Amino acid sequence: MPRTLAVAFKIAYRSITRRKFRSALTTLGVVIGISTIVSLMTVAYGMRTQVKNTLNEMLGAGIIISSRTGGVDIPEYVKDIILNVSGVKDAVPVVTTMINVGDRPVLTIGINPEDATRLYRVSLEEGRLLRQGEKDSVIFGATTAATLGIGVNDTVTLSAQQGVVGKKFRVVGLLRAIGTGELNIGCFLTLDAAQELVNRKGYVSNILVVLEDPNLGESLEETFREMFEDANIVRQEEIMRQIDRVMSVINGVLLALGSVSLAVGALGILNTVMMSVHERRREIGMLKAVGAERWHVLFLFLSEALIISIIGGIIGCGLGLAGVYLIQWLVSIMGLNLTVPLLVAPEVLIGAFLMAITIGLFAGLYPSWKAANVPPVEALRYE
Amino acid sequence: MSNIVELRDVVKTYHLGEGIKVEALRGVNLKVERGELVSIQGPSGSGKTTLLNMMGGLDKPTSGKIVIDGRDITPLGEKRLARFRREKIGFIFQFFNLVPLLTALENVELPMLFSGKLSDKEIRERASDLLRLVGLEKRMHHKPTQLSGGEQQRVAIARALANEPAIILGDEPTGNIDRATGRKIIRLIKDLNETLEQTFIIVTHDLAVAKASKRMLFMADGKVYATPPKTALTVPIQVLMEERRQLLLAELGWLKSSLLALKERKEEINPNIFSQAFSTYKARVEKIRKLLRDYATLQGGKGDEA
Repeated sequence: MPRTLAVAFKIAYRSITRRKFRSALTTLGVVIGISTIVSLMTVAYGMRTQVKNTLNEMLGAGIIISSRTGGVDIPEYVKDIILNVSGVKDAVPVVTTMINVGDRPVLTIGINPEDATRLYRVSLEEGRLLRQGEKDSVIFGATTAATLGIGVNDTVTLSAQQGVVGKKFRVVGLLRAIGTGELNIGCFLTLDAAQELVNRKGYVSNILVVLEDPNLGESLEETFREMFEDANIVRQEEIMRQIDRVMSVINGVLLALGSVSLAVGALGILNTVMMSVHERRREIGMLKAVGAERWHVLFLFLSEALIISIIGGIIGCGLGLAGVYLIQWLVSIMGLNLTVPLLVAPEVLIGAFLMAITIGLFAGLYPSWKAANVPPVEALRYE
Repeated sequence: MSNIVELRDVVKTYHLGEGIKVEALRGVNLKVERGELVSIQGPSGSGKTTLLNMMGGLDKPTSGKIVIDGRDITPLGEKRLARFRREKIGFIFQFFNLVPLLTALENVELPMLFSGKLSDKEIRERASDLLRLVGLEKRMHHKPTQLSGGEQQRVAIARALANEPAIILGDEPTGNIDRATGRKIIRLIKDLNETLEQTFIIVTHDLAVAKASKRMLFMADGKVYATPPKTALTVPIQVLMEERRQLLLAELGWLKSSLLALKERKEEINPNIFSQAFSTYKARVEKIRKLLRDYATLQGGKGDEA
C-alpha cells in the first residue's frame, strides 16, 4: 500500500510540474492566502506579546489590592500586615487618582521613589527622579508633558478633585519609559505629596503585592480575600486574561480577513484538480482497467491538491514573515508612532501551514472523489 | 473445463434516457480455450467494444453469465472487479493508454504495484524482463511521448503481461499504427501466444490481425457468429440509403423553389421555354418522389415527408 501511495504521489508531482504555469498560479492563490494570514497573525502576536510584557513590567505585581470604592481609603499600615503573610516578597502602597494639572485631568500616581525604583526599571528622558520625602516636585511622562506643553523646571498647579486646590509643584523630570514598555504618560508624585494633595494622609488607594513565587497567586488571593473583605483583590493574571480576551477578538477579525483570501486559494485548487480530472478521464479509466481501485485514484488526485497546498503553505509562511517587514515599513512611512515587533511565533507558522493542508484536502476532496468514480469503460471510449 | 472464457446468453442494454434503449449485446454465447488467439471482426456499432468491456470486467451485463478462468464475475462488486482485472486481465488499447507521466518501465510496473504481491526489486526486475521480451530494453526510461506508436504498443503489451493474466484483451491494437509496424505488433502477439501460451482475444478491423489468429469470430447487431453473417452489411447499406435519401430531399426542396420562381416569372418568359422547363422540373420531382417512396418501403415504412 505505501508503494502505491508513493507512485500516486510521483504521478501527481509530475502532473503538477508538467503544467508549470497553471500550477504556479494555483499555488500563488494559496501563497497569497497563507502569507496574508501569517503576516496579520504575526503582527498581532507581536503586539500582544509586547502589550503583555509592558503590562507585566508596569504592574510588576502579582496581586493588586484596591479600595472597593475606588477612593483613597486603605490604611497605609495594611502594607505591614501584608508583608508578614508568608509568600509575600514585597508590598508597595500607592495612590492612584485623577488630578487636574491646570484644568486638564491627568492620571496621577503617588509612589515612594525607593519603591518605584525597586519595582521597576525606570528611564528618564530629561531631568531627575523624585527624591524620598520631596513634597513639591513632580515628574511627568514625556508624552503627557508634550501634550500639556510642560518642560523641566516649569511650575505647574495641581488640584485634587476632592482635596487641596491649586498647589504649586516644580517639574523635575520627564519619564521616557518604565521597563521596556513605552510608558510615558501620567503624572508622578511622592506618596506623601499625593496623600496630602487628596487630603488622605495615612491612606492609599492600592497596595501592589509582589509574590515570591507566581504559583502562589491563587492561594494568596484567597488569603487576602478573607483578610480584607472590603477590598478588591485582583490578580495580574486576571488582567492579562482580560487583555487576552480583547486581543483574541482582534485576532479573530484578522483571521477572518485572511481566511477570505485563503478561500480564494481553495477555489483555485478546486478548479485545478477539476480540470486535471476532466483532462485525464481516459487515463483514469485506463488505471482502473489495469487494476487500480477507487482509493488509488482518489489518492492520486488528492496528492495533487496536497502537493500544491504544501508548497503554497511553505512559500506563504516565508512571504508572510517578509510581509511583516512590509507592514513595519508602511507604519513607518505613515509616520505612526507605533513599533510593530517581528516576533516569529511557531504556533502561527504551524497553524497556517496546517490550515493550508486542510484547505488543500477539502478543496481536493470533491474533484478527487469524482475522479474515483470515473467508470473504467472510459478507457475504451475514444471520443 | 479448459475453457478460460465462457459467456452464456450475455445481454447488455444501454438506456440513453427518454426511453431510448440500445441493445449492444443480444444474447452472446462464446467459449474460448486456454492458449487460443481469437480475433473478432465486425462493423462499428456491432457490439465489439461492449463485448470486451464485459469480458474484461469493466462493465456488467444486463443479464447472462460471464465465467473467466473458472470464476463467475457477474456478481462481483466494484472492488472485487478491480482486483479481478489486475490479476486476470491484460488490456491492449487502440491508443495505447499509457500513463503519459510515467516512463515505459514505470508503466509496466504499475499493475504489479497495484496488486502488491511482489517486492519492489522483483517488480523492477520483472518489468525490465518484460520490456526486454517485447524488444524495448533500450527505451525503458523513455516517457510515452518519446516513443513511437509501435513502441508505445509494445510497452502496453508488456504492461498487459505484467500480472500473468488469464487473458489479454485487445481493442484494435494495430488501429493507430502504420501497416509495417502493425505487422511487427501482430508478430509479437503471435509469438507470445505460441511461446507463453498466452490467450488473446482481439477485436479488430485489420485483416492481417484476423489472418494471424487461430480462430476468427464475427459480430453483427450484438451477436457473435463463427462465419461472416450476411446481415453484417445491413448497417452500412442503411447508412448509404439514408445519405442518398437526404440528398434527394435536398434536391426536392431546390426543385420546388425553382418551380415557384418559374411560375412567378411566367409572363416575362417565352411560353415555349416556360413549358419545357416546367415539364422537365415536374418530371424530376415525380421521379424523386417515387425513389423516396421506394426507400421508405425498404427501410420498413418510415414516414416520408415528400
